[in-house]
Amino acid sequence: MIQFEHVSFTYPNAARPALSDISLELPEGELILVIGPSGAGKSTLLRCINGLAPHFSGGVLAGNIRVGEFNPVQATPQVMSRHVGFVFQDPEAQFVMDRVEDEIAFALENAAIAPDEMRVRVEETLDLLDLTPLRDRPLSTLSGGERQRVAIAAVLALRPRILVLDEPTSQLDPKSAEDVLTALVRLNMDLGLTILVAEHRLERVLPYVDQILYLPADGSAPLLDEPRAVLAQIDLAPPLVRLGKALGWQPLPLTIKEGLRFSRRQGKNGQGGNGKMGSGRPSAVTPNEGAPFVAAHNLHAAYGGEEVLHGVSLEVHPQEIVALMGRNGSGKTTLLKCLVGLVRPAQGEVRVGGRSIAGREVADICRELAYLPQDPNSLLFAETVHEELAITLQNHGLMAKRRGEPLPEYATDLLDTLGMARHATSYPRDLSAGERQRAALAAVTVTQPRALLLDEPTRGLDYAAKHQLADLLKGWRAAGMAIVVVTHDVELAAEIADRVVLMSQGEIIAQGEPAQVLGASPLFAPQVAKLFPDSGWLTVEDALQAA
Amino acid sequence: MRAATPSTPARRGTLHAGAWALWLLAAASALAVTRNPIYLALVLAWVAVVWQAAKAVPGLMDAERAVPLSPLRFGLFVVVVSAIFNGLMVHIGDIVLLRLPESWPLIGGAITLEALVYGALNGLVLTGLYAAFLLVNQVMPIREMVRLAPRAYYAVAIVISIAVAFVPTTLRQYRQIREAQAVRGRRVQGLRSWLPLALPLLTGGIERALQLAEAMTARGFAGTSTPGHDGWTQAGLVAGLALAAGGLLLRLVWGAGTLGLIVAVAGAVWVAGRRHPQTVYRPAPWRAQEWLVAAGAAWTAAFFLLPLPGLERSSLFFYPYPRLTLPGFSLWIGVSTWGLLAPALLLLRQALITRDA
Repeated sequence: MIQFEHVSFTYPNAARPALSDISLELPEGELILVIGPSGAGKSTLLRCINGLAPHFSGGVLAGNIRVGEFNPVQATPQVMSRHVGFVFQDPEAQFVMDRVEDEIAFALENAAIAPDEMRVRVEETLDLLDLTPLRDRPLSTLSGGERQRVAIAAVLALRPRILVLDEPTSQLDPKSAEDVLTALVRLNMDLGLTILVAEHRLERVLPYVDQILYLPADGSAPLLDEPRAVLAQIDLAPPLVRLGKALGWQPLPLTIKEGLRFSRRQGKNGQGGNGKMGSGRPSAVTPNEGAPFVAAHNLHAAYGGEEVLHGVSLEVHPQEIVALMGRNGSGKTTLLKCLVGLVRPAQGEVRVGGRSIAGREVADICRELAYLPQDPNSLLFAETVHEELAITLQNHGLMAKRRGEPLPEYATDLLDTLGMARHATSYPRDLSAGERQRAALAAVTVTQPRALLLDEPTRGLDYAAKHQLADLLKGWRAAGMAIVVVTHDVELAAEIADRVVLMSQGEIIAQGEPAQVLGASPLFAPQVAKLFPDSGWLTVEDALQAA
Repeated sequence: MRAATPSTPARRGTLHAGAWALWLLAAASALAVTRNPIYLALVLAWVAVVWQAAKAVPGLMDAERAVPLSPLRFGLFVVVVSAIFNGLMVHIGDIVLLRLPESWPLIGGAITLEALVYGALNGLVLTGLYAAFLLVNQVMPIREMVRLAPRAYYAVAIVISIAVAFVPTTLRQYRQIREAQAVRGRRVQGLRSWLPLALPLLTGGIERALQLAEAMTARGFAGTSTPGHDGWTQAGLVAGLALAAGGLLLRLVWGAGTLGLIVAVAGAVWVAGRRHPQTVYRPAPWRAQEWLVAAGAAWTAAFFLLPLPGLERSSLFFYPYPRLTLPGFSLWIGVSTWGLLAPALLLLRQALITRDA
């Protein structure tokens, strides 16, 4: 169906090729997962399939590509659009119209499909992706997952035989991501569409995937095989697979159900016990001793005209990481914004470092309580990472406003800690998602704050970048920082949190040690906790240590 | 029940875009022709009635499409400012309220009631135009506006639709960026502190424009063009979108509305590369109700614009100088403004039907 013969591709002005000498053959009708570290050329490979590379991006392509009976390079993306549907990362950036139905009809109108035929196609596409109830909604009122489904519908209306998706869920929360992936699985099963999807969230798709295509970063030959075979050879894997590999489970389990067969047989249930939980966690010091650094008392706050917080109280101590979890719209982000003064509560009080923040400027509060918003792009605007730090320092009057002024030592040390020293002179927006986030983190923490708030920091990060972030936060905790992480990522919460706070409908509904709060919840339990219920283990390391 | 989700029946019942355009044309020409406060008040009142009727239809007014400024607040502001401005600048008229020293440049001299009144009337006209345009902008989905464009300008229309669809996203981004800069310790002081806001917004806008251009290419926009011209289409698309984004930015950040609009339109025109065959999904029908609105609009416009035999039109051209008099009133012209009410009738009927359903 799709054939690459010795394909190499180099972007204009790039020093080295993005793809070098790739040969592979992708079978028809299968769901194929494309994985690999960032920078391995996943996006480029996908764009070769419909001719966007080189037609849109420019650059030099060598070798031969065949997609069905076409050569996408000769056929141009315009012709390929009838045969290959392409869905991008950011659902917002691919819409032309403002309503669901119109968006789906757009490509058909453009292809001059007859009105009667068009009517039928729009209807069936709406049904295929479960969008009928949303057909008249303005796109701007949809959730991220719904939007991404509309984007898929919009390309499916042309009835392509191949669907290509470039990290379609990286901007979505887990629930929305699951909706999108479920829709893909169904399209593959029911229609026999060939689907290629580049994806970081392996847990959700692994059970349904027919093949995995792994692109290594060093430019060596890609791996293409059935999931177990590929996963056995690479490090990029969800906790279940990592544990299975470490304990020598054969065949490698891909679902919790398969994993449970092994974990039960090993009879490890109940051996761990809650007492072990503290061992791997340096700050298991009783956190309630001493004064909290950040304290919110009985907060009521409205955002966009609706009351979203109803009497929330939260204390965060130095040397503590609190994970704030809950559904979308449960008030987590608003709570963070209240803590830094971006949202002023209607009632209640916030104290930072023992002082009330009422009447203080956001700029003033943020000097000791750093806040990293969801989208790091909204922070970054300078020419270099170095300059980003300088601007924050100048804003706070901690550095002279002169060009070429060297950064103070603690700022360069921070770049070292973050592993960003070699990117100090790079343009921040050219960096990878993980690096961009660390640049943004550097820009807000360069004032040496004593507390840090992070909103969804793992969105769009691959496993490697997630690990780096977790290690960094643990390091800062050891140094005495108080940290609050809003996250949907249960594995991250399991790995780093000392305390988990669950929110729902603007109230705190549960809080306590991760083992109690996460382990007990079917929705929030990490994979390891599901494999070994009642053991108190949450991470692969917990389980291996006890084994 | 279905208020939260604009349902298909509500949408199917909406008026044809062409009917709205005719209504707008009639209201705007009526407002432009007369300065008679009675007629102005009538037209304004009917626009307000249609506005309320539109609000009664569930799901018709796009809550998401941001109203930049409510017509009421706009009206208050414009009427007051325009009256004061005219009063200070124009020193003609018999009824003198007070005298400023002649030595003051421009504003020195007699401040007259006539000048104030005339200024206020101009403010009323602007308010009416603003309200009418805003209303049509609110009730008409973007794609309907695109359809109004002649075939030859299809590409232009598409780009304008994209630019309009960019607005909510851009506004949201702007808020995010403002917050992000605040937490980095930025304090608003002088023009230079706008740079951290404008730059990410602009870069973000261009990035999104590029992504959209790529997505549109992948979806076969310009499907039948000859391959040799692809580079041009693509460059035009990117440049046009970038300009459109830039125009928006000008409007948002520096409030340079006209300039922003010019840049945005220039961007749109740039993209008008080539026409290609396309078909229309669900062509909107022109039914009896569209005829009713069109007839109403024609009726109003005829009395305001045409020298109809036997019609005393002098009351239209009310002029407060040199001495303020009571405005005249022609019953025929007053009654003719009722033509503008046609959409309100249809909207109310639709509101009742949707409520029952």
